[in-house]
Amino acid sequence: MKTPTDAEIEAIVAEAIAAEASCAHAEAQPPSSAIVWWRAQMRARQEAAQFAEKPITIVHALSIAAGAGLMLSLVGYAVAGVKGLSAWATALWQSTAAAMTALPATLSGGWFPMMATAMLISALVVSIAAYVIFADE
Amino acid sequence: MADVTYLDARRLHVDALDAETADVALAMDEDAFRGFYDRTSRALWGYLSRISGDRQVADDLLQECYYRLLKSSVPFESEAHRRNYLYRIATNLVHDSRRGARPLFVEGIDVAEVAAPRGTADAEQRTDVRRAMGRLKPRERALLWLAYAQGSSHAEIAGVLGVKTGSIKLLLFRARRKLAALLQP
Repeated sequence: MKTPTDAEIEAIVAEAIAAEASCAHAEAQPPSSAIVWWRAQMRARQEAAQFAEKPITIVHALSIAAGAGLMLSLVGYAVAGVKGLSAWATALWQSTAAAMTALPATLSGGWFPMMATAMLISALVVSIAAYVIFADE
Repeated sequence: MADVTYLDARRLHVDALDAETADVALAMDEDAFRGFYDRTSRALWGYLSRISGDRQVADDLLQECYYRLLKSSVPFESEAHRRNYLYRIATNLVHDSRRGARPLFVEGIDVAEVAAPRGTADAEQRTDVRRAMGRLKPRERALLWLAYAQGSSHAEIAGVLGVKTGSIKLLLFRARRKLAALLQP
């Protein structure tokens, strides 16, 4: 079989593609230029509006981020506070327990009975004085 | 002074924005665009459909090609320069649409072929051409189409495809041989 020359190959290809191009030209049903122009206008306006609103969106995003950050810091502060409170309550409980444990020894010590007697006498004196004062009236 | 609500202010802002953007958004005026579109849209649709192998893709990309042309800030020296730029946009869009999309040509049979009229010798020959083109690489299809359907020069083809002008001759030679081999019975 004879091998086609370059010129023959070019002729075959050119003819085939030219026929295909004319077929594609007949098949083509592009939208009207008015519609394409109108759609382009609408899209350009929409993009311009989005571009103009971008700074507002950025400010919104920043404010939301700042609010979220503030909320998070408050939550963190509250959590730290609760932790501190629980530690304080634990310490209070431990010191109370230690004091209760040491109470018998304290009661048997020298200064507690004296102090208790002094308080009892004071209460008695105050009661008598109050009676004397209000009885006269 | 009358109270201005937030909605009023918003409406005024949007109206002002519309007035501001109506004339400056697109680089061409309407008459020039419509004339250019009427002269080029059918040929561009043919290019898109034959390079992508899918009429639906061609329909979708046609509007996008013209929109990107209108939004471009390139100072065109002539209509030919503008047309070549349009074909470059089209080539890039077809290239992008292939990424991640379904294969446009399945075993050499494309969507356009399925819808082609049958029963005549011409229709069968066209089917053969489409099947053969479907087996070419996208760049080979674009090369041959630009050279033989559009009649573009080597420099213009190089500009559209983003390759060196000096390599076009060899690339065309190879693509022609490949297509001719595929077209032979």
